[in-house]
Amino acid sequence: MGDADTFGKLELELRRGVVVLATLSQLRAPRYGYELRQALAANGMSIEEGTLYPLLRRLETQGVLESEWRIEDGPPRRYYSLNADGRRLLRKLTESWQGMNGAMDRLLKED
Amino acid sequence: MNANDVIESYVTDVAVKLPRKQRNDVAFELRALLNEELQGRAETAGRAADAAMATELVRAFGRPADVAARYRPTLTIIDPADGHAFLRASIVGLVIIWGAGLAEYLRPPVDSGWSFLTALGQWWGKALIPSLWWPGVLVVGFGAASWARRRRPQSAEWKPRAAERVRGSRVALVMGLVGILCGLFVLIDPRWFLDLFLGGREAPAVREAFTYTETFRHRQAPWVLVLILLNIPMMIAAIANGRRLSSIMRRVEMELSLVTCAVLTWTVLGGPVFLGPATDRMFKLALVLIIAITLIHIGVTLRRSVSPAPDRRIQA
Repeated sequence: MGDADTFGKLELELRRGVVVLATLSQLRAPRYGYELRQALAANGMSIEEGTLYPLLRRLETQGVLESEWRIEDGPPRRYYSLNADGRRLLRKLTESWQGMNGAMDRLLKED
Repeated sequence: MNANDVIESYVTDVAVKLPRKQRNDVAFELRALLNEELQGRAETAGRAADAAMATELVRAFGRPADVAARYRPTLTIIDPADGHAFLRASIVGLVIIWGAGLAEYLRPPVDSGWSFLTALGQWWGKALIPSLWWPGVLVVGFGAASWARRRRPQSAEWKPRAAERVRGSRVALVMGLVGILCGLFVLIDPRWFLDLFLGGREAPAVREAFTYTETFRHRQAPWVLVLILLNIPMMIAAIANGRRLSSIMRRVEMELSLVTCAVLTWTVLGGPVFLGPATDRMFKLALVLIIAITLIHIGVTLRRSVSPAPDRRIQA
C-alpha cells in the first residue's frame, strides 16, 4: 500500500469516475445546485462545490440537462433536470455501472 | 471588507475568464450558490458569516482561473501523449540554437573580460531571445498534428512495420549502390568527372581546383576509400535479403557509420582536401552535412532500439 498521498490521488480518480453518474441520478426531478449538493451529501456522496456547479453547466452544454430560472421561497435559482437524452444516458450509464460493480464485487471477494 | 465583498470580488474574477455570452448568467448563479454555501457554513458554525469565512469558502472552491476552466470544455493544444516529445524537441532545438549562437559570437578573438561580456550580450539579444521562435513552431506543429488526429482518427491508426527492414525501397537501395559506385569513381580522381562532362576542355585553373592535395591523398583518402568500399557488401546483402539485415550486420553497419563519421571529421579538420579553396570549402560543407545526417540517423536508431529483457533474473 502506498502512502496517504497515493491513496488520496487514487481515491480521487475513483470518485471522478462516478461524479457524473451520481449527479445525473439526482436530477430526475429539477434541483438547483446547492440543493443537489445537499442531496448527494445526504446519500454519502459529497462532491466539492467547485466541481459540482461547473459540471452542471458542462452537462447542459453537452445536451443532457435542461435548466430554467425559478423563484420559489427565496432568491432566483437555476433548476437543472434531465432531458430525454439525459434520461437515456442515465439508463446506459446505470447499466454500465451495475455491470462494473458486479465485476468488481467478484474480483474483490476474498477467497 | 465584508463577506459579501469577498464573494462579489471572487465571482467577478471567475466571470471575466468566461466567454462573454455565458459570463453574466454564470456570475448570477455562482453568486447565489456561494451565498447559500456561506449561509450553510454560518449556520453550522453557529455564528454570522464574515469575510474570513467567505475567504475560506472561495479558496476551497478553487482559483478563479481553475473554476472558469471547469465551466468550459477542456481545451488541449498539445496532446498529453506528445508532452514528452514536445519537451525533448524544444530542449534539443534550443540547445543547438544557443550553442551555434555562442560559437558564432565567441568566434572573434575574445581577449578581455569586456569583449567577452559584449559577446555574451550579443548572444543574449541576437540568439537566445530570438530562439523562442523554435518552441512556437513546435506548438503550432504539435497542435496541428493533434487537431488532425482528432479530425481524422483513422489516419493516426497504428500500422505494423517490419522493424528489421532497412528504410527505403529496394529500388532506392539499388540507386544508393549506384550512387556509392559513382562516388567512388569521383573520389579516386574528381578530374575524371570533368573529363566525362567537359571532355577535357576545361580551363587549367578548374582542373587544378579539383585536384587533391598531396596531404589528403596520402593521409585520409585511403581510409575514406576503404570505408566506402566496406559499405558495398552491406548494401548488396540488404538488396539480396529483401531489405533485411541480421542483428550482427546492423551492428557492423552502425559501427562502420561511426568510424566513417570520425574519418570524415578528421578530413574536415585535417587541412585542405582540394587545391582550389572554393572547391575545398564546398566539399567540406558537403562532408559536414553527411556527418550531421549520419549522426542524426545513428541517434534516432539508438533511441528507437528496444531489446526486450526482464530487469530481474527469471525464477525457474
